[in-house]
Amino acid sequence: MEGFEFIAKAAAFLGAGICMGIGALGPGIGQGFVAGKACEGIARSPENSALLTRTMLVGQAVSESTGIYSLVIALLLIFST
Amino acid sequence: MLESLEIVQIAAYLGAAISVSFASLSAGYGEGYTAGLANFGLMRQPKAGDQLTRSMLVSQAVTETGAIFSLVVSLLLLFGGVDRGSLGLDKAAALLAAGLAMGLGSVGPGFGSGYTGGYACLALSRMPKKHNEITGNMLIGQALAQASSIFALVVALLLIYAIPEYEDSTLLPQIIRAVAYLGAGLCIGLGTLGPGTAIGFVAGRASDMIGRYPRQRALIMRTMFVGAAVSESTAIYSLVIAFLLMYAL
Repeated sequence: MEGFEFIAKAAAFLGAGICMGIGALGPGIGQGFVAGKACEGIARSPENSALLTRTMLVGQAVSESTGIYSLVIALLLIFST
Repeated sequence: MLESLEIVQIAAYLGAAISVSFASLSAGYGEGYTAGLANFGLMRQPKAGDQLTRSMLVSQAVTETGAIFSLVVSLLLLFGGVDRGSLGLDKAAALLAAGLAMGLGSVGPGFGSGYTGGYACLALSRMPKKHNEITGNMLIGQALAQASSIFALVVALLLIYAIPEYEDSTLLPQIIRAVAYLGAGLCIGLGTLGPGTAIGFVAGRASDMIGRYPRQRALIMRTMFVGAAVSESTAIYSLVIAFLLMYAL
């Protein structure tokens, strides 16, 4: 293995770990905040629970997207270098 | 020049220090937050003293879980990690990464469980008659939050005891594996930070709302479970990436 190729591979593996680690931080906190506020909303107006659950799941799916980007990039860094 | 045994030992000691220090940071903050809100609740409702104090102590014990895992991992690193298997750079990096994984991995659950416990105590002070429901919801929520610290514990134990052995002729593949192990430790450590904190937030809001609107308990708990499960997903992605970095190279 050449010197450059070697450094690139090592950097890719470290990068994959940091990418998924920090990338999971934001979506995790965001989804939890959504769910917490949804609990609050459902408690205050239970008649709208279907609407609130739907909105919660859509909001969480959207905040999940950046977590999935991190997952894709981490997998690419592991397998395509 | 350092001997390879000395390098592995230094890495193990560093890992032990990182593990227990990060964990005690968050567990201390979480338990203090619980106790603070419990005291505030006591001021509002002095008659609920017994129940409040009991719930506060239970909640603090659960919040401590992550710190206890970290203590176990750092004791293993101090006394049991070095004398096993090869003594290459990859072994040293794996022990350091185990400390990073468990230390960072217990930060989120510590903050999250503390938040849950604090708001459960506030809810108790508002509605002392419902203390069974509120404490039950608090314990379920804290268990969900601590799930991500269990992911970190699994990765840390695997890094200490179950990294694959290779016969290397050169140093280069060893360094690549060493960096991959560090990546795995950082990945699960940082990856559980968000979900742990967030599930604690969900469970805290749910406990608070069960205290305010006890009749909606079933609906609130359902929403809490769904929300916590979705928040857990990114921790599971991190676990997958950490396993791939450890075993699929």
